[in-house]
Parts: sequence; structure tokens; C-alpha cells
Amino acid sequence: MSSLAEMATIFLSPMDREAVLGDLAETGDSGWSALGSVLGLVVRQRIELWRAWQPWVAGGMAFAGSLLLLGVSFGLSVDSRRFLRGERGYGSVLCEALLMTSWAWTSGFAVASLSGKTRWVSGVLCAMPCLSCVLRFHDTSLSRVCLLLFLLPAVIGAAQGIRRDRLSHRTALTLAIAVTALMLMWGGMYVRNFFFLLPAWWLVAHAERSERSNEKAAA
Amino acid sequence: MLGEFEYVLITAAAGLGENAYGAAIREEIERAAGRSCSIGALYTTIERLEKKGLLRTWMGEATAQRGGRAKRMVRVTPKGMQAAKEFYEAVMRVSRNAAWAAGKPERAS
Repeated sequence: MSSLAEMATIFLSPMDREAVLGDLAETGDSGWSALGSVLGLVVRQRIELWRAWQPWVAGGMAFAGSLLLLGVSFGLSVDSRRFLRGERGYGSVLCEALLMTSWAWTSGFAVASLSGKTRWVSGVLCAMPCLSCVLRFHDTSLSRVCLLLFLLPAVIGAAQGIRRDRLSHRTALTLAIAVTALMLMWGGMYVRNFFFLLPAWWLVAHAERSERSNEKAAA
Repeated sequence: MLGEFEYVLITAAAGLGENAYGAAIREEIERAAGRSCSIGALYTTIERLEKKGLLRTWMGEATAQRGGRAKRMVRVTPKGMQAAKEFYEAVMRVSRNAAWAAGKPERAS
């Protein structure tokens, strides 16, 4: 069998790799024909993923979330500077930092658990606004890094979303209530911020749906 | 309702029974339907049908003929059988008055 075809199977899941290489060995397919078969499967599997709504929502959420969180990161940096100058209380800045962290984490988790297999596309869609804003940033009193404060919690959230797929219902509900309460305390109840509540409450709905289907399967 | 290739795949897998796995189903489709069946079409359709609960798959034993690689065994679920039956009946119903199905002479258009 062609080693090229064998190399191309790295894009397949371990189960598919085993079955496909076995099938090719059994039918005696080799060379370009085997490579074509493997690549055909890889392409079809990628196309198949995009027939569902989840990758589209995950991609849209990654793009829009990144765009909005850039603004939140910048706002937090400006408020932190004001706090250092004594113009703002630490409570408000702490609240803002906690909100940004939880918004970024829940968005990352939701994007990854919605469509973990298309995480690279979601990652690129998240990186595009970041790159564009960082390149256009001209405020000399602040570092460009201040725009990207949200990235670390978002990436951690996404990594956990890929590993765990869903939170337990209790954890998701506690998190969503805490984020909503924090938002009410902070007083930033405008439309942009409501967007950030969606991932947290979606995680609650997702956890509830998964638990219900598990119960049904057990019954 | 099933797609045409989904029906062909379920029917081939059901016909093979305990011996239904990737390469065997592919060979059966090519032999019975007289059409080529790519590995890509076969496995993406198997995955789609498994997600719908119409098929169940698991990894079977490895054989020397397969270079020591395991087979992906396939079994049609009762839901899959029902879906295939409905597709078959629909095709039979819709073909009832067709010349090629009823054995009538074809009318000139």
C-alpha cells in the first residue's frame, strides 16, 4: 500500500484509519488510487461536518465574541490604568476583570463544545478581528497586548470544552447565575453585554439536555 | 426518508448479516448495483446512518489478509430496517404505473 495513503490517514480518527487501511489492504488498492480514496474520505468528512448548524453557530460566535471581547479587554485596560491613578475603585475593576474572564471562558467553552471538530476554523475566525485590531492599534499609552487580555481565558475554556464537551447541570447553572449577578452588580446592562450571557445560558441548556438524554438512555 | 445510496447501503449490510463490514459492503454494492462505490461515500454514509440510529458499528477482529488491521463491523438496527422498508414501499408505490415496473409496453411520447 502506498505510504502516501498511509500518511494521509493522519487526518482520520483512529477507528477510521484502522478500518480504511485494512479495507485498502484487503482490496489490494495501492498508489494513487489508495491516496485518492483516503483523501476523498477526508474531504467528504470535512464537508459532512458543515452540513450541521453547530459549526456555523460556533464560527459566528467565535468571530462576534472575539470582536466584542476586544472592546471589553480594551475597556478593562483603560479602567485598570484609572484604578492605578486612583480614579476608580478596585471593586468595579475587579468586577469587570471577573466578568471579562467568565465571558471569555464561557464563550470558548461553548464554541468548542458546539463544534470541537471545526475548532481550527473557529480559531481562525477568532484570530481575524484580533489581528486586524492589533495591527491598527495606535494608542501609545497602552500596549497592544491589552486588547488580547480575553484570549487566555477563552483558550482555556475552549481546551476544556474539547476535553469535557459539557459541564454538569449544577456547575453550568451556578456559573450562569454568577455571571448574570455579576453583570447586574457591575451595572453594564447594555445590548453588547447581553450577548455574553448567551454562552453561559446555552451551557445550562446543553447540560440539561445531555442529562435528560442520559436518563432516557439509562431507563 | 432515506436517500437512495443510504437505502442501497442498508440493504447491502442487511444482506451480508454477520459479515457486514466496510470492504464487504462496498464489494456487495458494486456487484449488486453495478456502480462504483468510493471509500469516502461508504464511510461518510455509514457515519451519518449511525448518527441517525439506523446502523450500529464496532471494531471487529484483525486478519492477516487485511495487514493485521481490524474491520469496522456494521449491523442494521430495527429502526434502520423500518426506514429501509418504508423506502422500499414508497418506491414500489410510486413505480406502480410505470411501464418498466408493470411490464406494460412503453408509450411513444
